Amino acid sequence: MFYPKRYDVVVIGGGHAGCEASLIAARMGMKTLLITINLDSIGAMSCNPAIGGLAKGHLVKEIDMLGGEMARNIDETGLQFKMLNKSKGPAVWSSRAQADMPAYRLRMKHVMEHQDNLDMKQATVDEILDENGKIVGVKTNIGNEYLCSAVVVTTGTFMKGKIFIGLNEYSAGRAWEPPSIKLSDSLRSLGLRVGRLKTGTTPRLDARTIDFDVLAAQLGDDNPIPFSFRTKNFNRPNMPCYLAYTNENTHNIILSNLDQSPLYSGMVSSLGPRYCPSIEDKVVRFYDKQRHQIFLEPQDEGSTEIYADGLHTSLGYEVQLAFLRSIKGLEEVEIMRPGYAIDYDFVDPTQLNHSLETKNVRGLFLAGQINGTSGYEEAAAQGAVAGINAALYIQNRDPLILERDEAYTGVLIDDLVTKGTKEPYRMFTSRAEYRLLLREDNTQLRLAQKSYNLSLIDKVYFEQIKESEQKIERSIYKLKNTYIFPTKVSNLKLKDMGTEIIKTKTDLAKLLRRVEIQYNDLKKLIPDLEELDSFIKQEVEIQIKYEGYFRLQHQQIEKFRKYESLFIPKNFDYSKVGGLSNEVKGKLMDIRPKSIGQAMRMPGVTPAAVSLLLIYIKKRDERKIKSSA
Amino acid sequence: MHDDIIAAIATGYVESAIAVIRVSGYGCYGILKKIFSRKNIKFEDKRVYYGHILDENRAVIDEVLVSVFKSPHSYTGEDSFEIGCHGGLMVSNSILQLILSRGARMAQPGEFTKRAFLNGKMDLSQAAAVAKVISAKSARALHIAQLQLKGNFSNEIEEIRKNILLLLAENEVNIDHADEALSDFSKEKRLDMVNNIYKRLSFILRASQSGKSLFDGMKISIIGKPNVGKSSLLNKITGIDRSIVTDIPGTTRDVVSEQLTIKGIPFTLLDTAGIRQSSDDIIENLGIQRTVNAMKNSDIILALFDLSSRLDEEDFDIINTLQKNSNTVIAIFNKYDNKSALFDKSAIPFKRQIEISCKTSYGLKELVDKLEQIAVGSVADSDIVSLNASQIVTLKEGLKLCSSLLNDVKAEIDPTLISVEIAGLIDILDEIIGKITTEDMLDVMFRNFCVGK
Repeated sequence: MFYPKRYDVVVIGGGHAGCEASLIAARMGMKTLLITINLDSIGAMSCNPAIGGLAKGHLVKEIDMLGGEMARNIDETGLQFKMLNKSKGPAVWSSRAQADMPAYRLRMKHVMEHQDNLDMKQATVDEILDENGKIVGVKTNIGNEYLCSAVVVTTGTFMKGKIFIGLNEYSAGRAWEPPSIKLSDSLRSLGLRVGRLKTGTTPRLDARTIDFDVLAAQLGDDNPIPFSFRTKNFNRPNMPCYLAYTNENTHNIILSNLDQSPLYSGMVSSLGPRYCPSIEDKVVRFYDKQRHQIFLEPQDEGSTEIYADGLHTSLGYEVQLAFLRSIKGLEEVEIMRPGYAIDYDFVDPTQLNHSLETKNVRGLFLAGQINGTSGYEEAAAQGAVAGINAALYIQNRDPLILERDEAYTGVLIDDLVTKGTKEPYRMFTSRAEYRLLLREDNTQLRLAQKSYNLSLIDKVYFEQIKESEQKIERSIYKLKNTYIFPTKVSNLKLKDMGTEIIKTKTDLAKLLRRVEIQYNDLKKLIPDLEELDSFIKQEVEIQIKYEGYFRLQHQQIEKFRKYESLFIPKNFDYSKVGGLSNEVKGKLMDIRPKSIGQAMRMPGVTPAAVSLLLIYIKKRDERKIKSSA
Repeated sequence: MHDDIIAAIATGYVESAIAVIRVSGYGCYGILKKIFSRKNIKFEDKRVYYGHILDENRAVIDEVLVSVFKSPHSYTGEDSFEIGCHGGLMVSNSILQLILSRGARMAQPGEFTKRAFLNGKMDLSQAAAVAKVISAKSARALHIAQLQLKGNFSNEIEEIRKNILLLLAENEVNIDHADEALSDFSKEKRLDMVNNIYKRLSFILRASQSGKSLFDGMKISIIGKPNVGKSSLLNKITGIDRSIVTDIPGTTRDVVSEQLTIKGIPFTLLDTAGIRQSSDDIIENLGIQRTVNAMKNSDIILALFDLSSRLDEEDFDIINTLQKNSNTVIAIFNKYDNKSALFDKSAIPFKRQIEISCKTSYGLKELVDKLEQIAVGSVADSDIVSLNASQIVTLKEGLKLCSSLLNDVKAEIDPTLISVEIAGLIDILDEIIGKITTEDMLDVMFRNFCVGK
């Protein structure tokens, strides 16, 4: 039947990508429908009970600025918050929080239930309906047809998902939930290339059977910083995680049972994530390492279920139990749910534009694990962008495209659509060339304008950010133009601070560049120096301390921008460019890079080939100018 | 895009025994068939065909050999052929005009090489070397240009780049995967690597300075009071390699200039008037001004002193003037054959000193060796490179960046900051070898080529 209500956007899947996509589309005024296989699993954390972490914290803060919910959701339901990498430079400071899994999921569902313009329905979508290369609706397994103009597919691991526990296998989208069997065939029939990827999860243990006394407890920060810049009255518990280690005995048990692993026995041939390897992978690959770290993490404030981070495995139940019990503190452990591997259909993301819309079907957007990524944050960031762009598509406006020098989200999407992926893609800070300027702390400053232009943040908040920005500039100017003189009094004070005395007139910015000097120290020298709130103080310190390196990075960005702004027309005929090999031509015709810059990042496109393109495009433009004159 | 056919007399417009006309572009064999006497030939790659070139009225223009080079094995990478005909402007020009009338167009300077570059037959630094090969003024310079053409320099930069990438990868591992202990580089190892990169880059800078001397030549001024032996020295030095001395027209009576090559290095020798102030002689004062200018523009100044007598006021004037100057000075003590005890060497402040005798030729070999040393330093010929001015500026930037990287690695600053510097270095290397080439760069480069290359 044709469902009588017509929607603007239909989002398929209620995971982290689907939640953000549908919330943001609805918040942008789109009549939105979320269809999910199981309404109880909305916002479910299928794997680790944590949000953020290295480079992922950056993504969460960006999602917050793009009108998404993840940051606020974890701020309300986190059990422990920690800033990672504090000993390193500010570019890699990353927020991470342990989550109360059910609380996280339920809060997300409630937020969605109360969102204007958003309906949610439990169903399985079997078919995506298109007409003349444009989306017109979706069809569910019981034959309901929902008409819409845009579809965002965020099916995670559900498409033809297959779970492996030892040599047992069964079809599932996530443990104990049915897979989506027909949807990927529908995508195939729309002309999309579909491949297989694999990921896995760890066993969940019963806390009552763990001897925590022999394990080291790890707490979060005493004065944690929330993820969302807008979270007020932040007051969450600080629950411990526990550190345990595998040992040689553990490794021996794993090695002697590899024939029980679907991976090593050849049952699964799809590639798993290199950066989040299973314990059997770690033992095989790093055979000279005597132990591997495991974090035992709470899943739920009141529950006894414990997540064993670092022990992803697809080994059989008995083997899992045996190797777990070889670990100190886990000698009598009981497994509540076993670890498992899952392999699933994904869509080669090079078939997408930077807007996350497919190149061959207008109005069809893909986000999350379906694009070959791994991680809640990676999924949610794509969900946010897909939600925004689905709305913009319907409004007939230009899509939001974040560049590599603007956001980790931009790096993530550009990597996916330019290079594709052979294994589940995980975000790292090293993927961001302009890391120094893409920090967590300056996310608001980076994205405010774009966000405000799309009404993803309100005017009051936007003006607050602008005001902070001006304050930062003013303070930096002040510090560069306020001097202290090598008087006895000043130098005595400097000595007291444990820093070197000065011999000539010195501006405060120069002093602040010293590793041991903070803004508050300067106040001791110049008492009437303005009192700054902690955000502004931190920005001022960072911008002054790293100024020289920022300048270098800005030069690099300038170069990047130069090539990025050399656009290649959409219907450019590569066959006319002399000197390009057929292989390179084929790649270029397949990806259709939007700019020379993107072409330069494509694997297999040599600098010489890029030069030929550059020259050809310029020549052609010249000819055009001549012929029009 | 190079769908047109280009043609040129590759041997230039000079009288010669034979001449070669080069034609390149897809479809060029169509033209050849129309003007070649032999019919029904299927032209094959790397084959030479004997026959006649016929004009529109089927009259013989010349008896020729046609060499066929098919894509992609030709110089340009396109279908091409070369006609070897008799020398003489009439013959070669008639054939060229015939080819042009059959649909080819006249090639622009460097266009054949430009096509070779665009068709991926050589990289930009190799293409630049082609120009150097053509313009080399000595066998030594030619040899060096040939090495660069072979890709020696590009390979060295590629090697350095690989090392920098290794450093970057290792640095990144420490940022994103610190707890996995995947990195096993010690601080010393890192320092070693940066040091090595620094050394290699500064060696290239030195080698490029040698290259500049070899390809662009050096200017030498000879200065000294009257009768100290300037002219004899000039004659002696030019006598070393008389065969390629040319007189430069338009030299003034005050600055006499000669060009010669010593050990393959082109030198311009400037003999100057004195610098003695003599207020009432306007013409002489003009001469003095010219001398000062000549000195300023010289790479090396040979200051001549007379060993046979005491240093006088005029000598000290010269010493004072030179000391204000920053040029390389060689103090030359002439008349070794008539050495006097009154000559006080300790009054000469210049580090480089040579005793010679223009009469007996004593010390001349030492002088020539010294000139070579100053020009090319201790860089082996196989390492010498020829870079343009902007490449050298970029290289110097790279060295600056590298030395701040060295300090930062030493100080063990935050690895995210180190990464920015390493990335900057990679950009600089790519710029030096012109990894990404724009049309503007190409125009500048190929403009300086001769037609037919």
